[in-house]
Amino acid sequence: MTHSQNRTGISHDSDNNEIVVLCMVHFKQKAEKAEAIKKMTDIVLSYSPDNIIGRPLGIKDEDIRELSPSFGIITAVFNDKETVVKLLSEIRENNLGISVVLSSLFANVREICHRQNLTEHTFNISLGVFGQTEKLPDDDTLSITTQCGHALVAPALVRKIIRQVKKGDLTSDDGAVLLAKPCVCGIVNHTRTKRIIEHMAGG
Amino acid sequence: MFIDSTLCERCMDCRPLCPVGAIRARKKEVVIVQDECVECGTCFRYNICPNSAIKQLDEIPYPRIVRAHFSDPAMTHESIDVCGRGTEEMKTNDVTHSYTEDQIGFSVELGRPGVGTRLYELEKVVQKATSMGVDFAEDNPVYPLIIDHSTGKLRPEVLNEKVLSAIAEFTVKRSELLSFISELIPFFNNQIETVVTVSLIARCDKNGRVSVFEELERNRIAFYPNGKVNLGLANI
Repeated sequence: MTHSQNRTGISHDSDNNEIVVLCMVHFKQKAEKAEAIKKMTDIVLSYSPDNIIGRPLGIKDEDIRELSPSFGIITAVFNDKETVVKLLSEIRENNLGISVVLSSLFANVREICHRQNLTEHTFNISLGVFGQTEKLPDDDTLSITTQCGHALVAPALVRKIIRQVKKGDLTSDDGAVLLAKPCVCGIVNHTRTKRIIEHMAGG
Repeated sequence: MFIDSTLCERCMDCRPLCPVGAIRARKKEVVIVQDECVECGTCFRYNICPNSAIKQLDEIPYPRIVRAHFSDPAMTHESIDVCGRGTEEMKTNDVTHSYTEDQIGFSVELGRPGVGTRLYELEKVVQKATSMGVDFAEDNPVYPLIIDHSTGKLRPEVLNEKVLSAIAEFTVKRSELLSFISELIPFFNNQIETVVTVSLIARCDKNGRVSVFEELERNRIAFYPNGKVNLGLANI
């Protein structure tokens, strides 16, 4: 989720509960932290994320745990602060020595940190997109495609899904699953994507 | 990536999957335009073709393999053993301490979201930043492509390779933040023939605060209300 800070369509007025959680082992510590990242995976999965790394590829949750040392990273999406507060509390109790990054409204992160008596360590702040921005699709499409930090969700796929939902050939729920599938990191937010599809198909 | 025409039934269901629109109908065939394909693997992984007509080469030759290194998040960068775009940037800063309070990290990503870039555009950015005296992050897959650190010249054989995105990461002195923004943004807008996403990395003080937000607001430089925050839990 190198570029989850560049997600668009998130504001203080809408979609303000989305929180992406990333737990990463520094690449030089992959071997020594193998068991720790498995434990981290168990903890993250126990809080029922909206999406998680590997799931779009059809990898079962129990296999994600076994694969986590080779990933060196666990990424997941949540849609409420309360769950993330509890998740962080358990992560801290286990003291795994793994970096944890939250991607959300900065105000959400501040609130979560406050409730956990934590102070933020390092910020990643987006100034936005420059250059030939005329090559970008419309804002609604971007609010879906930018959920994949690696830009693997194609605008053409969004258009196709919207057409199918409009025609009644596909539900917004199924459409969200199909749009989340290219994102191997599992950080496309199914709940939010469904909502955007409904907005676009109804417009 | 390529399509085996003997297996393809020309349904075109795969076409919308390509992030850069490289799957096209040509005469009586569906093809992946090799010069446009960034080797991200999305069409292959999606498993959309009932006949498995979408194929991946067993071994992509150099320099084309650079496309996959920069576009396929499932591929690990050999030089740094990191998958994705090959950079940990601030995500492990509580372990690496790569970014300190007296520095600002710049992350300049070309091609994202969804446009793609040739690496000669990356060279323009690397050369520009080099001329401004920056230090490039060494644990980033762009670094091994630089053959002359005094000019920012990249390996010539990779320049025409197309990738989904490439990130130039460098640090500047905290005091130089505004001067870099004011020089780089017009350069991106006027000289770069793709989209450029710009992010800043700022280490907090002991109270979890950074003055960057206030400085940006004071100078009317827009920033997103959402972003990433490392919580520093690796060392607690």
